[in-house]
Amino acid sequence: MNMIELTGITKRFGDHEVLKQVDLTVKKGEVVVILGPSGSGKSTLLRCATFLEEPDAGTVRIGEHEIPAGGSQTREKTAKIRALRQNTGFVFQLFNLFPHKTALQNVMEGPVVVKKMPEAQAKSLALKLLAKVGLADKADAYPSRLSGGQQQRVAIARALAMEPLVMFYDEPTSALDPELVREVLHVMKDLASEGMTMVVVTHEMEFAREVANRVIFMDGGVIVEEGTAEEVFGNPKEDRTRRFLYHVQK
Amino acid sequence: MLLTHLPFLLEATLVTVGLAVASMLIGLVIGVFTALARISKNKLLYRISSTYVSVIRGTPALVQIYIVYYGLPQIGIELDPITSGIVALSINAGAYLSESFRAAIQSVDKGQLEAAYMLGMTYGQAMRRIIIPQSIRTAIPPIGNTYIGLLKETSLVSVITVTELLQMTSLLIAKTFEPLTYYLIAALIYWALSSGFSYLQSRLEIRVTRHVRQ
Repeated sequence: MNMIELTGITKRFGDHEVLKQVDLTVKKGEVVVILGPSGSGKSTLLRCATFLEEPDAGTVRIGEHEIPAGGSQTREKTAKIRALRQNTGFVFQLFNLFPHKTALQNVMEGPVVVKKMPEAQAKSLALKLLAKVGLADKADAYPSRLSGGQQQRVAIARALAMEPLVMFYDEPTSALDPELVREVLHVMKDLASEGMTMVVVTHEMEFAREVANRVIFMDGGVIVEEGTAEEVFGNPKEDRTRRFLYHVQK
Repeated sequence: MLLTHLPFLLEATLVTVGLAVASMLIGLVIGVFTALARISKNKLLYRISSTYVSVIRGTPALVQIYIVYYGLPQIGIELDPITSGIVALSINAGAYLSESFRAAIQSVDKGQLEAAYMLGMTYGQAMRRIIIPQSIRTAIPPIGNTYIGLLKETSLVSVITVTELLQMTSLLIAKTFEPLTYYLIAALIYWALSSGFSYLQSRLEIRVTRHVRQ
């Protein structure tokens, strides 16, 4: 069963076409890593799939939530987008934790406000998730007191608190000091092994090799090549892929 | 002589503070809603709120007070002097405060709204829970300036027979013929009120910014 189906996703910023009719399907429990040079459209693809950017054309389906692009922003469409987002965990490059709330409150916020979960129940869920990402002892810390790696792990816990069907990661380790990257990737690996459906935009080749079921290489707003990590890294068919890999692996 | 007049001055000071606080509180409510209207995508709300802000900021507060007290009775709305004063000053402060709020709301990082949206929040929930609480930090200094301005502008309502600090001072001068003494005392009281408030404001700023890395 396909958990995610993106069909014909097109996005323009002014005259520049960032995504050109991109199709992508992800099966339940599959981990897909998207690679590509900056400006290739990989982050925009995740943002279009969650309507943080409205696609100019195409259809997004996540689970049973299917939304075609375009049309007017009716109340009905806004509600559908909200339902789709509730089922999609999104991890941002710059964490975007809420600075006026503690780690615990950050994780509780979604269940309490959106799902109207009772405080006590949300608190025990949040504590469980903070323990899962190895931060049980930081529950009462404000984000400004946490390292980048810790902040990103709280952000992952915050996304998981909504019990999403899929997790999107938009360059989750790009803003981290090298020594902090591993702790975040470790949490992501654990999630993958538990069967979470994940789409990860990253430059971490090691992670792609170890965890990804499928690697996608994007350039110029299209998917240039896809396959297993072995296929794409070991024997790239396309010239553009080869050039990119040559530069990042150097 | 001065001592016997002191109770009158203190009473009038209370009127001044009351005017300022009441107008500020109402002005804050007007300001928040006007700010939200100014950043809304609804064109009608945007037009109305922008016109309000432009008109109020572009006309003297004294004229606004005259319109409320002397003008409105012509269309059947008669308010007593104090109410007129509070209405005019609230409307005036609301326009300035809305600009402070708008700037503060827009200064919150865009990623905060996106993070709230990705939890499935509505625009209203995101504003209430995430954006507005963070914008208050940024808004405190300009709000403080507006309040101090408002405190001094309360002296304008002396022209519509409200016995606040300046009006009382004038009455006492008419009795004693000592303008320098009494105007200096009035100035001193205004200054003390402003300084006291500035102190409170700086304490508040420290409190609400304690979790934020500057």
